[in-house]
Amino acid sequence: MTGMATNRRKPVNADDARQYADWIVAVAATRDREAFSRLFAHFGPRVKAYMFRFGGTAENAEELAQEAMMQVWRKAHLFDPQKAAASTWIFTIARNLRIDRFRQRKHIEVDDADPTLIVDESPLADDIVNRDEHAVLIHAALQDLPPDQKLVVELSFFEECSHSEIAERLDIPLGTVKSRLRLALTKLRGGLEAVL
Amino acid sequence: MNIKHHPTDQTLMAYASGTLSQAMELIVATHMTLCPHCREKAASFEACGGAILESVDHMAMNDHSLDHVMAMIERESANENARFEELTPMRRVAVGPSITGDAIPSIPRPLANMLPDNILSLEDIPWRILAPGVKQFPLKNVQSKGSISLLKIAPGVSIPDHGHGGHEMTLLLKGSYIDDIGRFRAGDVADLDDHNDHQPIADTAEDCICLIATDAPLKFSGILPKLLQPFIRM
Repeated sequence: MTGMATNRRKPVNADDARQYADWIVAVAATRDREAFSRLFAHFGPRVKAYMFRFGGTAENAEELAQEAMMQVWRKAHLFDPQKAAASTWIFTIARNLRIDRFRQRKHIEVDDADPTLIVDESPLADDIVNRDEHAVLIHAALQDLPPDQKLVVELSFFEECSHSEIAERLDIPLGTVKSRLRLALTKLRGGLEAVL
Repeated sequence: MNIKHHPTDQTLMAYASGTLSQAMELIVATHMTLCPHCREKAASFEACGGAILESVDHMAMNDHSLDHVMAMIERESANENARFEELTPMRRVAVGPSITGDAIPSIPRPLANMLPDNILSLEDIPWRILAPGVKQFPLKNVQSKGSISLLKIAPGVSIPDHGHGGHEMTLLLKGSYIDDIGRFRAGDVADLDDHNDHQPIADTAEDCICLIATDAPLKFSGILPKLLQPFIRM
């Protein structure tokens, strides 16, 4: 299809991840337009592809990608590099905008200021983890999955496919979808536990 | 809080990918407010989303896309008042009215936000009687593929033996119950799919209050529960 390209050329590395995070911080701190342009160049086409996969026209995907990038500008002050990598944060913005527009509702989230929030007091809690390196390890764990398992994970994230729709699409039994996903999650968790 | 039962990894991944029904999201977010372990897991699955965003397709933006967005930004910046200057960079908490009064609310915010404003604690819920020993309060403004309700179950009362045509998730908010899987206390989640049959029994001297969501009607075994089904609407 027009405008679509597959990008598997370059592994994500921690320096890139840190660079993206620094750009968001610069947008928040000094309303840095140059940093925003770079974020736009990198993430805009990815968010557009994400939106396109959920249906609608290329025009619609363009508009939603622009809106998501506007939110990156507006919400940059909420980005906390201790809590998430830039790609993770932008993914959640795109996800929430998609749910807002395609389903006319808000994605329900934990409120960090909730007085009932229970905080993990163990020293291994999230601040210790370097989020950029974490993101790179997750990326590597995903790349290491066997192709059939990786595809099921990608379809779960990037298209609004239920397990039975994935089964239909790939022409495999529902049980196979579930077992591939289970295997993939076990492997991912193994990969992540090395980090946590 | 000593939480023993959690949503499955599949459920946490679907939460992170944004493909759960809103009713299921509500249960996951309410549980995660009480469970740092699942918060961390969900954050890792969101990072998977970020990694896939980095590695899958991209689709070129239109020619003047950036110019267009920059123009919107300039217009907005002209109107940007002191609001932005007041904010320190990387602030964790969104600006907005704070709900903290003098009392600490006992209902986690994801759930509290979906209840009528006059309900500040589990004591305030205007229950209606569903069956002997079972009271219900349906959450009408939460989108669901099946149903979502708060249930209050009297000590010793059991919910009829049922299987699931689809996904059913229950979050315990008060008291406890026991079924074939184990004992569930406040904060625990029972995350069941169509393979599980169970018959929960409230097993302490205290009322058991739970939030229960289904993505499909439950299938009760036995004739009496079948007669009750249209009335229960779950």
